[in-house]
Amino acid sequence: MKIDEVYSMIENQFNQYGSRARQLRDEGRKVIGYVCSFVPLEMITASGAIPFRVRGNIQEPITLGDTLLETIVCPYYRSCFDLSIKGRYEFLSGLVIPHACDSMVRSYSVWSYSLPYSYFHFVNVPTVCEESSFEFFEEELKNFKRSLERLMGEPIEEEDLLKAIQLYNQNREKIRTLYELRKSDPPLLSGTELMMALTVGSGLPVDESNVWFDRVIKAVKGRNASPLIKGPRILIDGACIDHIELVKLVEELGGNVVADTICNGTRDSFPKTEESGDPIRALSRRYLDKLNCPKTYRANKAGTFEGDIASRFGDIGAYAKEFRVDGAILYVYKYCDPFGFEVPARKAYYEFIHVPMLHLEDTYSAGNLGQLRTRIQAFLEMIGG
Amino acid sequence: MKEERRIYLGIDIGSYSSKGVCLNHHDSLASFDCLSRGDFKATAEKIKEELLLRSERRESEISWTVATGFGAQLVPYAKEIKTDILCLAKGVASIFPFVRTVVDIGDLYTKIVRIDGRGGIHNFLLSGKCAGGSGRILLVMAKVLQIQVEEIGELSLRSKKRVDFHTGCAVFSESEAISRIAEGEKKEDLLAGLHRALAAQIYSLMERVGIEKEIALVGGGARDVGLVQAFQEVSGYEVVVPPQPHMVAALGAALLARENDSRGQGSK
Amino acid sequence: MTEQQKEVKPRKRMTATKAAASIGPLVKEFITETLKARAEGKQKLAYTFIVCHHEEILRAMDVIPIWTENFAGVCGAKRDAERFLQRAESLGLSRSLCTYALCGIGFDQWREELGEMPPDSPWGGMARPDFMISSGQILCDPRSKWYQASQQFMPDVPIYNIDLPYPLFQRDQDHREVWGYYHKYIVKQLRGLVAFVEEQTKKKMDYDRLRELVDLSDRTWNLIDETYRLRKAVPCPMGTGDAMNTMVPICFMMATQKAYDFFVELKKELEEKIARGEGEVENEKYRLMWGGGLPAWYALNDFNYFNSKGASFPVETTYRMVAPLYEMDIPETRDPIEHLAWRWLGYWTFWYDKARKRPGSEPDVERLINWIEEYKIDGIVMHEAFSCRTWHVGLIWQLHQLGKIYKPIPLYVVGKDGKKEVVMKELPSLILESDIIDITSYSEVDTRNKIDAFIETLESYRVNRAY
Repeated sequence: MKIDEVYSMIENQFNQYGSRARQLRDEGRKVIGYVCSFVPLEMITASGAIPFRVRGNIQEPITLGDTLLETIVCPYYRSCFDLSIKGRYEFLSGLVIPHACDSMVRSYSVWSYSLPYSYFHFVNVPTVCEESSFEFFEEELKNFKRSLERLMGEPIEEEDLLKAIQLYNQNREKIRTLYELRKSDPPLLSGTELMMALTVGSGLPVDESNVWFDRVIKAVKGRNASPLIKGPRILIDGACIDHIELVKLVEELGGNVVADTICNGTRDSFPKTEESGDPIRALSRRYLDKLNCPKTYRANKAGTFEGDIASRFGDIGAYAKEFRVDGAILYVYKYCDPFGFEVPARKAYYEFIHVPMLHLEDTYSAGNLGQLRTRIQAFLEMIGG
Repeated sequence: MKEERRIYLGIDIGSYSSKGVCLNHHDSLASFDCLSRGDFKATAEKIKEELLLRSERRESEISWTVATGFGAQLVPYAKEIKTDILCLAKGVASIFPFVRTVVDIGDLYTKIVRIDGRGGIHNFLLSGKCAGGSGRILLVMAKVLQIQVEEIGELSLRSKKRVDFHTGCAVFSESEAISRIAEGEKKEDLLAGLHRALAAQIYSLMERVGIEKEIALVGGGARDVGLVQAFQEVSGYEVVVPPQPHMVAALGAALLARENDSRGQGSK
Repeated sequence: MTEQQKEVKPRKRMTATKAAASIGPLVKEFITETLKARAEGKQKLAYTFIVCHHEEILRAMDVIPIWTENFAGVCGAKRDAERFLQRAESLGLSRSLCTYALCGIGFDQWREELGEMPPDSPWGGMARPDFMISSGQILCDPRSKWYQASQQFMPDVPIYNIDLPYPLFQRDQDHREVWGYYHKYIVKQLRGLVAFVEEQTKKKMDYDRLRELVDLSDRTWNLIDETYRLRKAVPCPMGTGDAMNTMVPICFMMATQKAYDFFVELKKELEEKIARGEGEVENEKYRLMWGGGLPAWYALNDFNYFNSKGASFPVETTYRMVAPLYEMDIPETRDPIEHLAWRWLGYWTFWYDKARKRPGSEPDVERLINWIEEYKIDGIVMHEAFSCRTWHVGLIWQLHQLGKIYKPIPLYVVGKDGKKEVVMKELPSLILESDIIDITSYSEVDTRNKIDAFIETLESYRVNRAY
């Protein structure tokens, strides 16, 4: 991968992750940490607080976290907890955890009693996606709204919410634009650069994040050549991959990462919220329905397996086509139930759309990358041709 | 038999090494240890022979024997089996009555035992099944680096730039170490890093049962001066290490054997 | 794929009560009945999970439940789960996932591939269902994804996934502020289930019958609670080992007269034992609580091992899936579905009020403290099963928090100056580690060693107790 000023600019900001949040806290703002794509960021922003995506660190062995939390919890989540317990996120005023998976729900008490924040809120996102689920979720969102109002000491007006929705939609459009720049062959920005840029965005208030993405888009468009050598075009499928090591490894070995369906990629950024009508209803639709995650159970309406997987994973097929993908890497954490149980179905789907797929099971540790290297290399050689 | 002629044996059969201690009514007469080499029964016999030889006593003078450890069931002449936890508590309390937390770093398990001053147990924790946080990793590393196990401690203290390990797993550490050596890292730096990782895991285990001063490090792993130092650095606590840390459980077993006799269970 | 040699059958476990001993044949009976019903084809069969407060609905519509978790447990107890687990792995499922689900999915795929039962299926195997009813609630992802994964091999078998949430304990909010809209949602989900079953069976729900069954299960709940409370007696007449058998009517036979009658008999048996002063253990020295974790189904003999050391188990949190209705302050209603939804919420929020009153407490910790006092408990045992996040995440923290806020035992210790002093200590605890049905994770030597050391700890406490 070629390192130019564009790469350096992005990397520079990436390495400062958290410093802007700390600054804002020093200025008296409330910064609220969150994990997972299911937390309604518009609501936090509308309240006047600033949402901040909590990350783990695969370079750091989990130590303190293990004294309180079992090792059968999702390893990424354990790392986040370990860092929190070690005080890395002391600048936060609180944490919001959604009902996304057992690791999050079953460790909620451990987090909320062990960490020193005064604000902890659990957003109970429904498991199924029916009309009654939206009704329930709207009430939950209202409850979340009330809890933020208590924290901030001010009501959240409808126009605050609408404004926040607009800002986030703009943010998502800009990210979409960045993704468009990956369509060229080879792409105008590497997967590594994209992941870094997205990470930077998730650590800034949304208006600053918008400014940031404008900057990145301009810089990348100014390039006359790709930073990568043309190679097999890869889609990364999985949950939250909040580090760049995997993408970096793939690109080091000659792949071009051009698309994804990961949490801190398209799952976070592509679905937009309706800007007309009741904002709470719009949010409930966006987060429960438009967001596609294995945790949401979608009934099999087709009556056949092929019909079922086409409906559940249709977005993957669409991205694969849109970004002209040559192969996919399904990267699943050990101990991950939502994705773990879907591996056979996803496998079948990739076969169905004729996209070769590599399935990797990993433990979120830098020490493990060596193991992944051989497999990824073999896969790239296989599809390279 | 007169009380002064009675002797008591404590035998600790571990997965890596086995130890024995021979006491009379108020002194320690002999001690012996050797590698287990997978044949626990033969090792147990060998230890008995050596103890009798070194203490210049006869088999008929053995009043009571307590066995402990991984292979305790295979000591044919043992009158009683006690858990290693209890033997450790007893052994440490007899040497350091002010110690309240014992950390035994063995081959396959690390044990943390909270004790009172007399050998009673308040709480304990064993490291998990996968041997993370136990001494096996040191044996593996000695093999990889082609040095003697006994050299590990001193060598590691010479490190100027510790190499950080990312995993506590002995199996993965082996492959990580091999790649690091290929990259040109020094042996002492690898060992220092390994000690650091191991110390952190042990400290983590201790936090789960709670730490009360004073702290003693025992077991084979406590003979590794580098590990002891790393532990003190990581935990911020100073620790005491008995002169023969790997013999403590066998000593405790022998003390329990002697106690049994004072309760009138010994031989005629 | 090679077939695993079956393990040597374990020794038959001794039970303390006749009632518990009668369970084995009962379980075999309802598995063979499902196979018979499948062959006859007159009633509908549904794969389903325990504790979803929906048995009344199924039984009112004459649907026969096939308890997939139970079947996996049976495979585990018979030490014949490995071949199904391996099959699941070969499909791409990770061994780190719920081994009940792996066993079930592996079995389903095999049965569908063969077109008949896999060879030597434990007790005849699981019959092919007409439909599947799942519910992850908010605590078990596998129960939301399992049947969906099995449906790959049975695409013609439809699923209804019931969403059954409850409000998590939040220290800054009373659950009654939100449980109105929770109730509304749960009612709609249950009515959706009724509609689904009506469609599948081509029958209409008989609400009078439903009301009767709900009333029966309410009475059964209260009876079970009264019966189990008898175990407070000293010596304790029945332990957790037996309760792992008596959980069968609670979880698999709720809303049947048979289940109610079972507990009438058990209650009588316990009252008689108490009158005779007969305990689970002849010389009861230590009273222990099973504070959390599903049991290792292939190692229930370990309870006899505890017994042999003088330890009894008067109470457990596992499978105590009922709470006394008369202690829940839920709204009254004539509608059986609305009542089921209230009972659901009442059960899950049972300890919330009490937890809020004690500084540092939390519902699971509060339950531990209350039962330690009611059942006169000396120590706590927990089991960490590696494949189950649902019931095992948080156990370490619970013991930690319990130790922090509750120190009821006065112990003599030797102070720094060598003098004897009294210190208030928390209860000693033991964590065992293995799995629910994956026997490769279990070491008998290891477990027995840990139990021995724990008994020595308990003895140390007993001997040094100040008063």
